[in-house]
Amino acid sequence: MAQNAHIQLKDLSKSYKEGDKSRSVLDELNLSVDEGEMIVLLGRSGSGKSTLLNLVSGIDKPDFGEVNIGGTDISDMNEKDRTLFRRKHIGFVFQSFNLIPTLTALENVLLPLKLKGESNEGITDKAQQYLDQVELGDRGDSYPDRLSGGEQQRVAIARALAHEPMLILADEPTGNLDYETGRTILDMLNNLVRKNGRTMIIATHDRDICQIADRVVELKGGQLHKVEHSAAVE
Amino acid sequence: MKNKTSNNLLWLSSIRFLLRHPWHFVLSILGVALGVSVVVSIDLSNNSAKKAFALSTEAVTGKATHQIMGAAENLDENVYRKLRIEGKIRKSAPVVKGYGRISGMNKTFQILGVDPLAETPFRDFASQQSGIELDDFITGEKTGLVAQHVADQLQLSAGDTMTVSVGGRTQLIRLSGVIKAGNDRSRRALENVLLVDVSTAQQMFNMQGQLSRIDLILPDKGEQAMLSRINRLLPQGTSITRSDSRSETVAQMSRAFEFNLQALSMLALLVGMFLIYNTMTFSVVQRRQLIGRLRALGTTKNEILTIILKEALLIGFLGTVLGIIAGIFMAQGLVKLVTQSINDLYFVLSVQELSIGLFPVAKAALLGIGATIIAAFWPAREASQADVSTVLRRSSNESKISRRLLPLAGFGLIIGLLGGAVLLIPNGGIAAGYVSLLFMIVGFSLMIPLIIVWMAMVFRPLMGKLNGIIGKMSVRGVVTELSRTSVAIAALVVAVAATVGVGVMVDSFRGTVVSWLEAQLQADVYVQPPSAVSRKADAKLEPKLVELLKETEDVSRWHTVRSVDVQTNYGTDQLVAIEQGVEAQETYQLKASSENFWQQYMVKDIVMISEAYAYRNNVSLGDSLLITTDRGRQSFTIEAINFDYASDIGTITMNRDIYNQYFDDRAISGLALYAVDGINVDQLVERLRNKTQGKQEVFIRSNKGLREASIAIFDRTFTVTIVLRMLAIIVAFIGILSALMALQLERSRELAVLRANGMTPGQLWNYVISQTGIMGVMAGILSVPLGILMAYILVYVINLRSFGWTLQFMIDPQVLLQAVGLAIVAALLAGLYPSRKMAQANPADALRND
Repeated sequence: MAQNAHIQLKDLSKSYKEGDKSRSVLDELNLSVDEGEMIVLLGRSGSGKSTLLNLVSGIDKPDFGEVNIGGTDISDMNEKDRTLFRRKHIGFVFQSFNLIPTLTALENVLLPLKLKGESNEGITDKAQQYLDQVELGDRGDSYPDRLSGGEQQRVAIARALAHEPMLILADEPTGNLDYETGRTILDMLNNLVRKNGRTMIIATHDRDICQIADRVVELKGGQLHKVEHSAAVE
Repeated sequence: MKNKTSNNLLWLSSIRFLLRHPWHFVLSILGVALGVSVVVSIDLSNNSAKKAFALSTEAVTGKATHQIMGAAENLDENVYRKLRIEGKIRKSAPVVKGYGRISGMNKTFQILGVDPLAETPFRDFASQQSGIELDDFITGEKTGLVAQHVADQLQLSAGDTMTVSVGGRTQLIRLSGVIKAGNDRSRRALENVLLVDVSTAQQMFNMQGQLSRIDLILPDKGEQAMLSRINRLLPQGTSITRSDSRSETVAQMSRAFEFNLQALSMLALLVGMFLIYNTMTFSVVQRRQLIGRLRALGTTKNEILTIILKEALLIGFLGTVLGIIAGIFMAQGLVKLVTQSINDLYFVLSVQELSIGLFPVAKAALLGIGATIIAAFWPAREASQADVSTVLRRSSNESKISRRLLPLAGFGLIIGLLGGAVLLIPNGGIAAGYVSLLFMIVGFSLMIPLIIVWMAMVFRPLMGKLNGIIGKMSVRGVVTELSRTSVAIAALVVAVAATVGVGVMVDSFRGTVVSWLEAQLQADVYVQPPSAVSRKADAKLEPKLVELLKETEDVSRWHTVRSVDVQTNYGTDQLVAIEQGVEAQETYQLKASSENFWQQYMVKDIVMISEAYAYRNNVSLGDSLLITTDRGRQSFTIEAINFDYASDIGTITMNRDIYNQYFDDRAISGLALYAVDGINVDQLVERLRNKTQGKQEVFIRSNKGLREASIAIFDRTFTVTIVLRMLAIIVAFIGILSALMALQLERSRELAVLRANGMTPGQLWNYVISQTGIMGVMAGILSVPLGILMAYILVYVINLRSFGWTLQFMIDPQVLLQAVGLAIVAALLAGLYPSRKMAQANPADALRND
């Protein structure tokens, strides 16, 4: 395990209460990710992929263990600090896009920049650049309900990249899209993340996605198992 | 700066959300506006009445610092002469004061009898300097002055004659000129004054040789020395008081009445607050996912809280502005009702115009915005505290509330019990009553979700039988979306319960008064001169007329009543002297008394006080009351407390023989006559009326007639309460409409799924209407127990602590049915628009992802 890894998850455990019983989802899980690395996190439905992403992003807190991102252990932080950390350093791409319906496409991309506290000067241009990069430069004024599923996910990618986060988390990014659109989105995500030198963890049950990964891990029984690249693609 | 820019975008998102839900936005503004408008209108009406009172007092009191008053109503004019000649008190002026009506003007005038020669230091408008033609004014002939405005309205000019009715006697007064007021303020105050010479006033009020009071201006320096000098000149029974303390006493009379009106208006605001709470909760519930997304992107809890509170502030601000404007309009009508009630109950007041003070408006603004923020705080806090991971999942909220049902109900029960405990606080006052009411409302609301689940168990099979699968679905829908439906139903329950509470309170009051009047009115015929204040018998019957009526054929026995204002150690109080002997016990219902009270009250210095008086002054059996009489200050022991709903200020009752021992007044205020058995009372009344032809104008009413007249006055004094209840009903109606309509409009996706699965527009209509109808029925049923609880507190706690009256609790089933009906009708109406909209809409549009 690399000591100076960009992202390091150490002995991460998380369980949920179901009635009187407790169900363990993650059990002393360890993971190290280097800067600029692209990890695909495989796992069946209910295996705990979303839980793991929630812990990495600071949305949720582990029962035990450390979540170290860029040298900061966020597992000990309080909720507010985790939120402030998230808005500065994490970008999200969700399966169901989760755009803000009351903001236009451009404003959706602007939002993380503003939340991060970037000065007003030039941020609209910056947001517009990212919209251009996802080929939606001319749809900046459109509200999400006027965009197709693929277009909404492209806006979500631009939004995830715009504030130049340390880490991008993608939870089933192609899950709500048809195969063709999914491929396009994935290529775009891959290219942009690599072009911008970002680190990314993609949670999916779709083994096709493994093609773009530097490393593939599978979540099974609350532990991560390394998956050989070729085996994953097959 | 950092936060400012990001907040701008969040705020923009918020505003767009509100604008995308215009129905919801407008109805929540309306909820605030209605609550605020009721508070503003009541406040402005009360304030205008108060201001009018202060204005007229100020104008007629003038610059007087002190007043000398007699023991009963009047004092001997020799006191004035003595004061002037022996005491050399130059700055003194005699006043004779009373009320009357000028024919052609539909209002009561204050008739002020003055001596223009002594007036210069006191009242500019009544002095020689103001241009009063002395020769004309003090001719011995009855002359008077009115305001220019009144003269214009009556189309009279100097030299013309006007007809003035005083205590049932018609008098002709020649207009000798108009009152010249120094400024606009006094001009307005003097619009209800008829200025006459002292001797003219004495003739008009049958007060020869007597004065109402003597006004004095005492210098600050040496005031005490002057006072003791004056006191030495005063006969027993007369007293000297500061002018401002006297007007304060009068103003205090109506304080409980005003407070209760304000409290009722606060109840309307409370209902408004529940509506705001409902709207805000709903608005937050609607946006759970959106909030989850923002939180996932890194928006902090505080930022979410701030944004939602800012929204509430906007709604509160818009609602308050609208409410203040509407309140000012409503006040134009309400001020007449409030003035009418004050005139019927306490003192003569004529409000010509609404005075819009800054304070009531500022208070309303603070209340409206404050109440909105308070009501919105919990939903906003809940939204901001929500766990991001659960917020991002759709059904989490419903499962959360179903887990919370029992703890929520348990918590509600504890809050309700706490509310009950608040009532046990000794000397808790009216405020504690309202706090308890608030606790009980909140407590009951928290129990509503659990009760809804129980009710649904009963309704589901029932609706299944009545309306098949759609019926069952409609009931089930109420439970599956409990987090939204329960809030809407709770708001409706509170709104409708408020109307039940006030309705039952008014009915209980009326019922108690009706049965009390039945017991109180034992004689067959009552004779009373018309009086300026309906519930007071402050005018006098002419002795000759009394004799004439007593001697009428078929009158077997009679008794008289004298009612005067006296000074006691508690201020100015109403004293009633009754002529009846032991048989008075048939008339008076006693709450408490010492042994053999009725035997002793004819011979001993003891009095009976009404329960309102006992409560107001915190006195009970065995306590002493110091009354200023013509024989000096005398102590009377309280030996009985009677039920009396005629006055909330309370009365002291004593035997006429005892009264005559201490007061030189022999006047009679009312006469009760008993007919010989078997005589037709209506015919007797007719005969009595014929006998009084051409004499003092008096009201001669049969027992039934007087009862009806009394109830009519009662109803009139309660008009303002009934108007407030109507307003509460409107608030409730709009609340129901807004909550249910918003709820259904938000279900467009679910309804689109049903349409996509083959539900016809007709079936959809049936589904939506059934569901809103079920919610209406649930709210209607639940509002009954809460309404009765509210009425119970209003009757037994708030009313008791405001006025000290014991009321019988009476529930008119009609009020309850009305409440259930109101909830159902409003709920059905609320379903109309959404069902029509959804039936016409293309399901494909609603099924699209946002």
